[in-house]
Amino acid sequence: MEWDWDFVWQILPTLIQGVKITILATLLGSVLAAVVGLAIALLRRSPNRLISRPVGFFAEFIRGTPLLVQLYFIFYVLPDIGILLPPLVAGVIGLGLHYGTYAAEVYRAGIDNVPRGQWEAAKACNLSARQTWTHIILPQAIPPMIPALANYFVAMFKETPLLSAITVLELMNQAKLVANSYYRYVEPMTLVGVFFLIISLFSVILLRWLERRYGRIER
Amino acid sequence: MKRFATWAGVAGLAVAATLAATTPGSADDSKLEQLKEQGFARLAIANEPPYTAVAADGKVSGAAPDVAREVFKRLGVADVVASISEYGAMIPGLQAGRFDVVTAGLFMKPERCAAVAYSEPVLCDAEAMLVKKGNPKGFKSYEDVAKDTSATIGAPGGGTEEKLALNAGVPRDRVIVVPDGQSGLKMVQDGRIDAYSLPVLSINDLMKKANDPNLEVIAPVQGAPVYCDGAAFNKKDTALRDAFNVELAKMKKSGEFAKIIEPYGFSAAAAMSTTTEKLCSAK
Repeated sequence: MEWDWDFVWQILPTLIQGVKITILATLLGSVLAAVVGLAIALLRRSPNRLISRPVGFFAEFIRGTPLLVQLYFIFYVLPDIGILLPPLVAGVIGLGLHYGTYAAEVYRAGIDNVPRGQWEAAKACNLSARQTWTHIILPQAIPPMIPALANYFVAMFKETPLLSAITVLELMNQAKLVANSYYRYVEPMTLVGVFFLIISLFSVILLRWLERRYGRIER
Repeated sequence: MKRFATWAGVAGLAVAATLAATTPGSADDSKLEQLKEQGFARLAIANEPPYTAVAADGKVSGAAPDVAREVFKRLGVADVVASISEYGAMIPGLQAGRFDVVTAGLFMKPERCAAVAYSEPVLCDAEAMLVKKGNPKGFKSYEDVAKDTSATIGAPGGGTEEKLALNAGVPRDRVIVVPDGQSGLKMVQDGRIDAYSLPVLSINDLMKKANDPNLEVIAPVQGAPVYCDGAAFNKKDTALRDAFNVELAKMKKSGEFAKIIEPYGFSAAAAMSTTTEKLCSAK
């Protein structure tokens, strides 16, 4: 086994193309997961059982099945009923839905953590349900959730190589293509590891900062 | 200090990983003896009928593994075990010692000949494309795909067809790497790709299984040469390769070779009319 720097420089531009797609998929997936998670968390609290039960079942179903299976389903099975999504869109939806169900649990914990007195005070002030949520509950619930949510997004970032199974040309897939044409795995796979490590380490620093900034709950 | 410890830990892991990866492989001429002793040879296959096939019960068949099984039996190696691999991973896997031989329809091309030790030719086939009924984009060759700026073509990653398409000038982002035959078929049916390219016999096999009247096969693809594969060995194992060639030549002469591959649709005459030397020096 020898390490060939010339080969590294030759393949670096290709891999950087992959890094861009990986980051794009993570960012879009995170936004979708944050939105889907909030929707699931709110709907599960609905007093109407016809809403809360099916949503709860749906969330448990997604949470209890592997992401890879869901990706195959979205990419290869949905076209049978006429839904044909481009690979990246299918991948972002898969990541967003899957991590959205985890994020929903984080939201639930955050909302449950808001003291009962706040709800009662809101009611006493004659605030509507909408005002209660947007002005009283969510502003107090969301800051403590941020580190936990960010944690899931870092985890999602590391799951993006699964998208290579549905032909998204992200980092892992680009590295595989390079390895396929040059019969060398050492440099491409090492670089994939290095890229993930660098981005994860930066994310961890950011996460620490978020924790310091928002993690403490002031009572 | 804590930060230093973290970095030291990372560095330590890296060093350990490097050491583990550089353990030297032992070069040996007694590879055949070793295979006889363990009683089986490890094959790399691709599950692309009729070249290589794995039945629902896990039984390995297909023309390439069947030939290899028979040759190894004659060499005194009782059995073969096969593992499914991507085309692109076969040669690196062979070099890393994960398989003893690749028998997967890995067509001989000069750059592959430089990376592995090929036996004499075994299976020969031309290239084909699977398209929608009526060939709406009018493809006849890989160049036609390159010319149509909205056309996409699917091919196995690291396979011959992928390189043919790229060499014909189809840009990288329009050559979609398809993990397996079934996915390729589905992607043509769904309109995700305009054509899916594999060797003729593989496409025909897919067509037969799919039984979809909305699809059509273009075969052979114009301008693409007829390729032959051979059993691919590690460069270190030329002694084993030579022994394999001796038995293969005997089988070709006795007609047993034809008896194994012709039921799969391959032509024994085509494989016998050419040599590895000729194929490896072809452009």
